[in-house]
Amino acid sequence: MAATLPAFPPVGAESPKVTLVIGSGSVKCAAALGVYKALTDAGIGVERVVGCSAGAVFAALIAFGHTMDDARSKTVQLWTRELTGQRNTIGVLRALAPRLFGFKAAEFSLRDDRLLLQRLRAGFGDRRIEDAGMPLHLTATDFATGELVELASGSLVEGIRASLALPLAFAPQRVGERLLVDGYLSDPLPVSVAMKHGARVIVAVGFENPYQERVDSAGRFAFQLSAILANNLLRAKLAFHSAAHHSEMIIILPEFRQRVRLFDTSKLAYIIEEGEQAALQQLPYLHRLLAEGRQYAAA
Amino acid sequence: MEVTLTERENATIVTITGSVDSLNAEQLSATFAPPIAEGRVRLVADFSSVNYTSSAGLRSLLAAVKDSRRGGGDLRIAGLQPQVERVLAIAGFTSIIRVFPDVDAAVASYRA
Repeated sequence: MAATLPAFPPVGAESPKVTLVIGSGSVKCAAALGVYKALTDAGIGVERVVGCSAGAVFAALIAFGHTMDDARSKTVQLWTRELTGQRNTIGVLRALAPRLFGFKAAEFSLRDDRLLLQRLRAGFGDRRIEDAGMPLHLTATDFATGELVELASGSLVEGIRASLALPLAFAPQRVGERLLVDGYLSDPLPVSVAMKHGARVIVAVGFENPYQERVDSAGRFAFQLSAILANNLLRAKLAFHSAAHHSEMIIILPEFRQRVRLFDTSKLAYIIEEGEQAALQQLPYLHRLLAEGRQYAAA
Repeated sequence: MEVTLTERENATIVTITGSVDSLNAEQLSATFAPPIAEGRVRLVADFSSVNYTSSAGLRSLLAAVKDSRRGGGDLRIAGLQPQVERVLAIAGFTSIIRVFPDVDAAVASYRA
């Protein structure tokens, strides 16, 4: 584990601060590193960070104060195609012949998660969420009730693994009494967590799921269905939170003119740059807003 | 943000320039209120010179949509710039608000 250093240019205690929410979006979530850099370069601090699915990885990197170089290096080490490359043979057999092999929801997956866990442990060790340098919240979904679950304490690796429990690919993660699946299933951009904690100004970095260029396999078929559901859920949730709450929400939607695939860490520099550019466009308003010092009542 | 009101045919055009956000959401609400109170509820918001909108701006817009519809009219948006349209779309607003490429088309829609 690399030493934890101030991640980006230090921001003074008196600096205006925002809550950063990083939505689901696979490797594209690395754009949040660029957003964070743009904020800190501009003297705007982050007082709390919320991460969902792959966004949980980058929320953790930010909250634990990793340097940009370290965050990049950890992303490249963690996020490779091999993560989902190993078939969970017994999982496949259980799906095909549940009576013969027995079906256990808590263990069901089509992919083996041992490499994912191994890499998360190599990257984050035995840290606990509550030990982060700023309040860190990871979101997952309760498999039994569909509710959004906010993880603000406990094992960091377990929390990220739960937030990243991509349906069908990876088995649900048991945390305490609950069986948890990917956070995007309850809210792909969980600004509600920031609102619940009284955030006045929220910078929400969101990503729509890309639709498949061609659907020529069951896997792509599943991805397409998942993208349709996730994008509609993202819009519906954001519509509600935009209309119903008094926090000011700055929505950052990095535009990727280059197609970024699930494991495109070779485009990491580009992804981070797009995040930074998208954030820079919001800075004039953010500065005016924070300078104004208006009070926003929490709901 | 600058706002001007003009009348064209049977519609009130609200031309907005600049940013629609929490720093001027009250001003925007105050702009929509008089015509709605006077029964001029066929509104067109000309967004062609709006370069930014935030959640507070969206809330102000939504309130005007609700008030105008309650009065038997509507608030229709014209000339959205791509970056503003993206925010409106991802926040679900384009599914409940009628959007037109320009003011002419929005005004014409009230004739139909």
